[in-house]
Amino acid sequence: MNPIISLQNVYKSYGSKQVLKGINLTIYPGQVIGYIGPNGAGKSTTVKILCGLISDYEGDVIIEGINLKDDPITIKSKIGYVPELAELYDVLTPVEFLGFMAELYNMPKELATDRITRMLTALGLNENMHQRMDTFSKGMRQKVLIISGLLHNPDIIILDEPLSGLDANSVIIIKDLISKLAKEGKTIFYCSHMMDVVEKVSDRIVLINEGTVIADGSFTELQQQQGTQSLEQIFAHMTAKESLSDAADQLMNVFGKQHNDQL
Amino acid sequence: MNLINQLFLRILLLPSALYRNMGVNMAHLKAILTTKLIIDDRRPNAIHQTQLKKRSSKPIKGATWGIMFFTAVMGSVFLLCFAVGRDYITQLTIYFSFFIFVLASTLITDFTSVLIDIRDNLIILPKPINDKTFLLARLLHIIIHVSKMVLPLSLPGMIYIGVKEGIRGLLPFIFLVLAVSLFTIFLINALYIFILRVTTPEKFKTIISYFQIFFAIFFYGGYQLVPRLVSKAVLENYSISSSNWAWLAPPFWFADSWQFMRTLQFSAPLVTGFLLSIIVPAASIWAVIKYFAPSFNQKLSMISGSEGEGAPVKANSKGIISTTSVYITQIAKHVTTVGAERMAFLHTWKLTGRSRDFKMKVYPSLGYLIVYIVIIFLSNKKLSLDEIRNESAGGKFLFLGLIYFSSMILVMALYQLIYSDKFKAAWIYYITPVDKPGKLISGAVKAAIVKFYIPMVVLTCVAAVAVVGPKVIPNLLLGLLNQLLITGILAYLTIKDIPFSVQQDTAAKGGTFIRGLFSMLVPAVIAFGHYLVYANWPVILIFCVLSGIASWLVFDAVKNKNWNAVAIRNYE
Repeated sequence: MNPIISLQNVYKSYGSKQVLKGINLTIYPGQVIGYIGPNGAGKSTTVKILCGLISDYEGDVIIEGINLKDDPITIKSKIGYVPELAELYDVLTPVEFLGFMAELYNMPKELATDRITRMLTALGLNENMHQRMDTFSKGMRQKVLIISGLLHNPDIIILDEPLSGLDANSVIIIKDLISKLAKEGKTIFYCSHMMDVVEKVSDRIVLINEGTVIADGSFTELQQQQGTQSLEQIFAHMTAKESLSDAADQLMNVFGKQHNDQL
Repeated sequence: MNLINQLFLRILLLPSALYRNMGVNMAHLKAILTTKLIIDDRRPNAIHQTQLKKRSSKPIKGATWGIMFFTAVMGSVFLLCFAVGRDYITQLTIYFSFFIFVLASTLITDFTSVLIDIRDNLIILPKPINDKTFLLARLLHIIIHVSKMVLPLSLPGMIYIGVKEGIRGLLPFIFLVLAVSLFTIFLINALYIFILRVTTPEKFKTIISYFQIFFAIFFYGGYQLVPRLVSKAVLENYSISSSNWAWLAPPFWFADSWQFMRTLQFSAPLVTGFLLSIIVPAASIWAVIKYFAPSFNQKLSMISGSEGEGAPVKANSKGIISTTSVYITQIAKHVTTVGAERMAFLHTWKLTGRSRDFKMKVYPSLGYLIVYIVIIFLSNKKLSLDEIRNESAGGKFLFLGLIYFSSMILVMALYQLIYSDKFKAAWIYYITPVDKPGKLISGAVKAAIVKFYIPMVVLTCVAAVAVVGPKVIPNLLLGLLNQLLITGILAYLTIKDIPFSVQQDTAAKGGTFIRGLFSMLVPAVIAFGHYLVYANWPVILIFCVLSGIASWLVFDAVKNKNWNAVAIRNYE
C-alpha cells in the first residue's frame, strides 16, 4: 500500500527559533494518527504545513503521491481541516457559512445544501440552521467547524482539539464518527492534549517534543517500550523535564507547615 | 445583501473573461466576495456602537447605509476647500489632500478589522483555492469597500464641480477621484509593508493605533489652527502653482490633471500632471498586485501564526522588576494605603500604560484639549504678553481658563477608568475579600492623577512662572489644589463602578448628560470663586488651605464608598 501522507526531513523555523527539526512520518490510509506533544512542541506547525498554510518549510511533504509544494490546490481539496480555535465568521448563519465552504470546495449547490442540512440535523443544530452564529455556544460552533471539515468528503481529515467545548453526548458522537470514517478508509490526523481520548481513538500515536518525533507506534507498542502505563503517564515520562509529582509537592510546600491552619 | 453591495458586485464581476484568463476561479471569487459583503453589512459600525444603548437583540443589518451617510456628511465638509485659493489647481490640491488623508486614515483601521480578517487564514486558505483567486477576491473586496467610502465622500465634490463647471469638469473629476483612490490604496499597502518589515507583527496593531491617534490630533489641530494662523486674504489669493515644491505633493498632480482635462491646454506643467496622475496610480496598483500582495499574505499569516506556540521567554522574566515599576511602587507607597487601594493604584498604572484600548480613548482627547488650549491663546490676539504679566482682567481670565480648562484632561482620563475591553476580568474584585470598593476607585483615581496631573502641573508651573513671574505662585497653587478638589468631587459624584469593569458599549446609557453637566459645572463654579478673590493673596492662601482640606476629605469619602454605592455587575 502506498502511503497517503509522507513527511521527509521537514524543518521549519520562525526567525531564529527552529520549531521542527527534521520530522519524518509515513502514514497509510485508514489510520487514525494521534498526534501529541507538549505545548510548543511543533504540533500546530506540522498541521499548518499539512494544510498548506505554511509554505516556507524545508524538506518534502508528499500527499497522495503529490508534492505539497508542486500542487497545493489539489492537495487542499483532499484535506478537511478543523482548526483548534473556534474561528468562523460568526455573523453568518451555519447554512451561509457552510454553503460558502462548500463553494470553495467546488461542490455542486444541490449536493452541498443537502449535505449541510443533513449534517446539521445529525448534530442537533437543525433548529439553529438559520441563526447567526454570534449567539452560539462554544460547542455549537465546534459542531459547525467539524461539519465544515467533513463536508466535501475529504480523504484526509485533520482535527485539532475537535472535542473542545462539546458536551459528553456530542463527544460520543464524534468519537464514533472518527472510527467509522477510518473504517471507510479515511485518514485521520488527530491532535489533542486529552490523552485518554487519544489513547482510545488512535491506531497509531506519534509523540513529538521540541520539533522531533520521540515516539511512534500503536498504544500497545508504546506500552511495550515504556512499560504498561496509561498514555498520560507515558507522555509525562517522555516529555517532562522534571518529575511532575515533584511539582505538585513543591506547590504543596508553598503553604508550609501552616497548611493545617487557616491560611 | 443590500442593493449597493449587489450593484458593486455585479459591476466588478463584469470582466469575468479577463479574470478567468488570469487564472481566477470565478465560482470561488463570487463566493468569497458575496460572503465578505454579507459579513460587512452585519458588522457593527462606529455609529451603531455609540447609539445602541446595550447589546441590542436586533441583529445588525444594513450597516452599509449608516456608514455611507456619515461619509457623505464628511464629504460635504471638504467643500470648504473651494473657499481657499485663487484657482482650481490650488483648491483641488487641497481637496485631494484632504481626500487622501481621510480615506487613508479610515481605511487604515478598516484594513486590520474589515479587509484583512485574520480568520481568513484558517477558514479560507486551507481550502483548495488558488492564490490568484484569493488575491483578486481580497482586492475586489477592498475596491468595493473603498468605493462605498469614496462614492459618498466625493459626491458633494462632484455635485459642486458638476454645477460650476458642467459635464466637462465633472467627468475628469470622477476619473481623478478613482485614480486618487487607487493611489491611496497603494499608500496604505506600502505603509503596512513598511511597518511589517521594520517591526514584529505583534507590535503592528499597537503602531497602527498610535498612527491613528497622531492623525486624529494632527487633523484636528490643522483644521482648527490653519485658518486662525493664516489670514483670510492670504488664503483667498493663494495659488499653489507658483511654488515648485508642490510637485512633491501627489494631490497637486491630480489637480493639474483636472485642469488639463477640462481646458485641454497643452502647457508643460499641466501635461506632466496629467501623465503623472495616470501613470502613478496605474503603476502603484500594479505594484500592489505584483509585489506587495504576495508577501503581504505571508506576513499576515504571521500575525495570527505561531501565537499558539508559546511566547518566547523574555530575558528579564527572572523576577527582575523594571526600573519604572520600582519607581512607581515608591510613589504608590506615599499616596495610597496598603491593601486594595495600593493594588488598584498599581493595577491602574499598568493597565493605562499597556491597554491599547485605553490609550485610543484617552490620548486623542488629550490631543484635542491641547489644541484647544493653543487656540485659546491664539484667538486672544488682543491680549499681549504684557497684559498677562500685569494680571489685567483679560490676563486673569486667560490664566484661570487655562488652569481650569486643563483639569478636563484629568477628568477625561477619569471617566475612562471604569471601561475596559476585558471588563469581565473584574470578577477578581467580587470574589476577593475587598471590604470597600471605594479603595479600588480611589487607588485608580490616584493613579490617574499621578499619571496625567503631575506632568500637567509641571508644565503649567513652568509656563506660568516663566510668563508672569513668581508673583503668580499663590494663585497657581490654589488653581492646582482646586484641580485636585475638582477631580475628587467628580470622582465621588460620577464614578459608580469598579475600575475596568464596564463594557464600553454601555457608555451611552443615561447619566452621561448629568456627568457632563457636573464636569462643566464643578470646575466653572470653583473657577469663578477663584476669579473673585484673585488679587487678594491672604484670602488666596486661606483658600489654599481650605481647598487642601476639602480635597483630603473628598478623597477620603471616595475611599470609603461601600458596596451599596457601586453597581454590581453580573456577567453572563
